Amino acid sequence: MTAKRLRVFALLAISMVFLLAWAFPIIWSVLNSLKTDSDVLAYPPKLVFTPTWEAYRDVLFGSGSILPNLLSSVIISVGTTIVTMLMAVPAAYALARLRFRGKKFAGFYVLATQMLPPVGIIIPYFLVLRNIGWIDTYQGIILIYLSFSLPFAIWLLVSYFEDIPFEMEEAAYLDGASRLKTLWRIIIPQVRGGIAVTVVFVFLNAWNEFLFAVVLSGNTVRPVTVAMFNFVSVEQTLWAKLAAVSVLAMLPVVVLGVVAQKHIVKGLTVGAVKGGGRR
Amino acid sequence: MTSFKPTRRTLLKTGTAAAALATFGPGILRHASAQDADLAPYKSAQIDWQQVSGETITVAVIPASYFENLITLAPQFKALTGIDVRFEKIPPAQIRQKSVIDLTSKTGTYATHAADPMYYALYAANKWVEPLDTYLNDKALTDQAWFKLDDIIPAWRSANGIDGKLYGMPYDGEVTIQVYRKDLYDAKGLKPADTLEAYMANASALNTPNDRVWGAALRGVAGAGQNMYIYPSIFREFGGDWMKGGKLTVNGPEAGAALAWYVDIMKKYAPTAAANWNWPDIADAFSQGTVASYIDAHSSASVINNPEKSKVIGKVAYARWPKGPSGKRTTSIWNWGFPINSALPEKKRKATWLFIQWAASAETQARTAHRFAGPTKRSGVNRTSVWKDPDYIKLMSGFGDNFVEATMGALQDDTDVDWRPRVPQWPAIGDTMATAIQSALSGQATIKAALDDAQRRIEPMMRG
Repeated sequence: MTAKRLRVFALLAISMVFLLAWAFPIIWSVLNSLKTDSDVLAYPPKLVFTPTWEAYRDVLFGSGSILPNLLSSVIISVGTTIVTMLMAVPAAYALARLRFRGKKFAGFYVLATQMLPPVGIIIPYFLVLRNIGWIDTYQGIILIYLSFSLPFAIWLLVSYFEDIPFEMEEAAYLDGASRLKTLWRIIIPQVRGGIAVTVVFVFLNAWNEFLFAVVLSGNTVRPVTVAMFNFVSVEQTLWAKLAAVSVLAMLPVVVLGVVAQKHIVKGLTVGAVKGGGRR
Repeated sequence: MTSFKPTRRTLLKTGTAAAALATFGPGILRHASAQDADLAPYKSAQIDWQQVSGETITVAVIPASYFENLITLAPQFKALTGIDVRFEKIPPAQIRQKSVIDLTSKTGTYATHAADPMYYALYAANKWVEPLDTYLNDKALTDQAWFKLDDIIPAWRSANGIDGKLYGMPYDGEVTIQVYRKDLYDAKGLKPADTLEAYMANASALNTPNDRVWGAALRGVAGAGQNMYIYPSIFREFGGDWMKGGKLTVNGPEAGAALAWYVDIMKKYAPTAAANWNWPDIADAFSQGTVASYIDAHSSASVINNPEKSKVIGKVAYARWPKGPSGKRTTSIWNWGFPINSALPEKKRKATWLFIQWAASAETQARTAHRFAGPTKRSGVNRTSVWKDPDYIKLMSGFGDNFVEATMGALQDDTDVDWRPRVPQWPAIGDTMATAIQSALSGQATIKAALDDAQRRIEPMMRG
């Protein structure tokens, strides 16, 4: 075997170790979700066991079904993503391309809102939502999620917009297109990858959020991150069911990741054509 | 009467019911049980249960079987009083945070909530909750002869009182007892320990890690209700006093001896992982036969007797906390109580009191315990009379040898109201102490250094 081949094998082996270490919690959850409670606790840990769907059946169709919670999570995450993107795309475009007074300040201001620790603002948020009667409502939680997803999305998108060459836009203007039409027809298709990346991150942040959700939600709107905690009671931890809910909660994220994969790869490598910049 | 034979199905349901009933359960169950409810035992009270009919209140509880049973009975309360109760279930780690936000902001979202006794000092100092004597002494609202406050376990009442005033009505509680494997003890001719010294000796005799049996386990994970649940008992048993001349002192010689005992037993005879264990983890390990003995809440008996998971059913016995060098036994007097939120308008406060009176009454306690139709039975009922009821004793005896005796003995004789320092700053103090204990256990700091550091951090909290 040549030295080069050895090196390749060594690299592959190291990557496999990292991959396993990375995937271990996921593999563990999937295995536990297919076990009975006594198999979960067995020592030495059982790698060979009779799989059962009981945990899934219970968490999906049992008296403690988490289907409504999964639905809550979907509505909140999709809602947050749509509203965020509708606002963030024009805002990021403006920050990247337009010249206006106070632009620097605006950029900084957007970022500054991210500097407050969430715990510090939770009481004011609670009070505001309480006073307008939006505690335990979808619009209330989505509104609060916007406060962190918007600045994040804007700042992520600005860099993609900045990478587009001015010449493309100028060509469109020369052809008589309006600014909006240019944005829609020329610019957005160029930053599709960036938009996909942003959508995935915004969705993920909303999907995984726990701190605000636990305080601002109630019986009506209860995302899966909060409901999951009910399997860790003061009496016992229901490991198999907890694992089953974790796997179910991971699924939409995995699906989204697979669907958006092509765009994400493109988004991450965007910038091959340089020459843009801020005006 | 159903005898105590938990089946696979019933115990599975216990846990999941927690999450579920919040969303669907109440509707279905409410409908079913309201019809056959016999309200006569309540109506014998000389009060007008219907005086604030039409009110709606929200009650925050944690997902736990003892609250599930109460939620199931809520339709009976509605039929009795005309008051609608909306239950909201919040994970135990978040209920404190969420109720404190509600109380601080005076929004009155939760008329009452499952409250930790250690929070009443903070609640009372800020007037966030009502002193309950106002309601107890109001003849229009309470029939004292019917309610029988004295029947409620005195230790839990005193835990929920500040300066002699009751702020939260105990609903369900626990005490700490020794849990041990009688088969392992018998094989070595050991008896349950009467002193902390003997407990250490037993642990040493039983510790055979090569056979995957460890001598003992105590809560190790850091937190105000975790390692700081077990340490205060040891501290008091070693003769420790939280307040010395009005000053909170956590680094005295008794504290040093108490922490040394804890670190010693954990390092020598507990599984290494126990440094990160909370009580469900200990109970799980015990139920798998890998721990010979532990000292924790008596309510863990339901987990170690869960036929779905446990391998030690029929081999379990109980005893009271071992005595410390001071000659004292100090159990926890922890309970979930219901306070009344001061931010509520008067009518809602009355409705809340009627709910609390109903939930804490002997009748409801029995209906949610041995007379409960559903699968789970409560082991933390709040009334001495229920603990003396032969049907209840029969049900509880199913948990193992000496269970009722050890629990009742602890409840009556081993309680200590100053078990933990009852000051408004407790949440922060508890966390600081928890970190100190953990750093001593992990060997990051010596016992003296850990306690001195805690004292240094706690002093400014007491001034502020």
